[in-house]
Amino acid sequence: MKTVKILGSGCANCRKLEAVAREAATSAGLEAEFVKVTDMKAIMAYDLLATPGLVIDDKLVSSGRIPTQAEVRQWLAS
Amino acid sequence: MDSLLRLMNGGAGNLAAYLAAHVLLCLLPAFFIAGAMAALIPKASITRWLGRNARYRVSYPAAAAAGSLLAVCSCTIVPLFAGIYKKGAGLGPAITFLFFAPAGNILALAYTGSILGAEFAFARFVLCLLFGIGIGMLMAVLFWRDDASHDAQTDALFAERASIGPAAMGVLLSLVAVLIAGTLKLWPLTATVGTVTLPLPWAEAWQATLSGWVPFDAAKGEEGVSLQGSLLILLLLLIGLTAWQGLEDIVEGANRWTWVALGLTAGTLLVAALKLTPGPDGLEVALTGRALAVGLTLWAVLHHARRLDADAWRAWLWEAWRFVKQIFLLLVTGVFVVGVVRQLIQPEWIQNLAGRNDLLANAVAVVFGVFMYFPTLVEVPVARMFLDLGMHHGPLLAYLMADPELSLQSILMVAAVIGRPKTFAYVGLVAVFSIAAGMLYGAWFDGVNPAWIALGLAAFIGSLVALLGWLLGRRQAPAHA
Repeated sequence: MKTVKILGSGCANCRKLEAVAREAATSAGLEAEFVKVTDMKAIMAYDLLATPGLVIDDKLVSSGRIPTQAEVRQWLAS
Repeated sequence: MDSLLRLMNGGAGNLAAYLAAHVLLCLLPAFFIAGAMAALIPKASITRWLGRNARYRVSYPAAAAAGSLLAVCSCTIVPLFAGIYKKGAGLGPAITFLFFAPAGNILALAYTGSILGAEFAFARFVLCLLFGIGIGMLMAVLFWRDDASHDAQTDALFAERASIGPAAMGVLLSLVAVLIAGTLKLWPLTATVGTVTLPLPWAEAWQATLSGWVPFDAAKGEEGVSLQGSLLILLLLLIGLTAWQGLEDIVEGANRWTWVALGLTAGTLLVAALKLTPGPDGLEVALTGRALAVGLTLWAVLHHARRLDADAWRAWLWEAWRFVKQIFLLLVTGVFVVGVVRQLIQPEWIQNLAGRNDLLANAVAVVFGVFMYFPTLVEVPVARMFLDLGMHHGPLLAYLMADPELSLQSILMVAAVIGRPKTFAYVGLVAVFSIAAGMLYGAWFDGVNPAWIALGLAAFIGSLVALLGWLLGRRQAPAHA
């Protein structure tokens, strides 16, 4: 099972990213565990300069923007 | 009961007057510009100048540019601040970035300019830029030991390069042109090209009704609602409703409502640029140079936006819509509350406390700014209220510099990243610099000879340099020993 982390302090973009990622996982028929990371120190452990960040299996795949569902499905599949 | 009604009326009147008069031509384009900056300017185009090996002559201006272009919301401010501090150019540029971001971004500039005047926006921008760099350098010198310990880490985060594409640049520039065409009070924008009188006999009666609903006292700096204003408020509500349908899921593609919302936005800007005067024969519509300029620049935006790829323009519209959702509601609430509070404050209080440009008045303004927390941009209508109630321009600028930079929330956030001693030093420096900025601007406003002001600025900078030199001397002393 994949672990999906949403990095961000809870701003509008982070909530949107979580919604997009959840829908992508559901539509791909994948089970994934979703973790929200809001602590700044934990977020800065990853190399990013802007939230929201998306981490799949401990690898940062996007930051500072909201990817489309199709992109997230690809990352989940790989 | 009666006084409660009076308070509510004050709030509603203030809100209606703001929405009708100021907001549209400045804030609507500003939201789109802010969205374009967030979505279309690749962060790497600026952050590549903020790496560990960047020279300070490059990194400080780059930090200010990042504050002004990249950081319109806290989603970017905190991570970028922490990133520059821990993994990039160090404490000094990080502080410059943090200080300049709330005052140097497009929303703050446009809004300050339209409500307090272009002169004030310019003073805020220039003084925040100068003093932001000054505070950053002072902090870097004060805590040089700490930066030295970071040097071993890599700065791969800042190695990436990117530049802004031509279409994105075209969109940004033409949006700025819309903003300028809509707000500048200059001929030929203010000239009337031609007039048409529409046979609408109810126009004059409707204006009388509006003036009855929102009574205003021009002597207290209050504004009423015009017929044009009521039309604009209606259009704003329609934009809100259609945008909710059309922009909420824009990341996955546009729908019918998207185009309706965008069309309404363009229409609203055009209506706001016309001059509508109700008269006995009907409604006189004057075609102004401004309306022509707004139309032309809107066409330029469309022309460039069509060349953006789908991901880019969707991201742009999403970011613009997100700023509207995030800021507009708070702003509307804030303006309402300011209208209520204004009925309660006696002008004499403000005039006694901060009616002059002296040290005490500036200090009071800064302390007020630190202990009051207003959400993004609400500091501007608050400042307008103080100005109308008789606050001097100098202390007002000191307040405007201290308030968005220092609030309990931002102090806690900074402390979490850089630790308490540095945070205390930062807060102290911001207070001192804000007071100095207020005194200087106030003196300029009072018509003090510019030579004296230059001398004052020189003395302030001179004492800072002396302080820096002394600190640097202390820093080098152990090396010789």
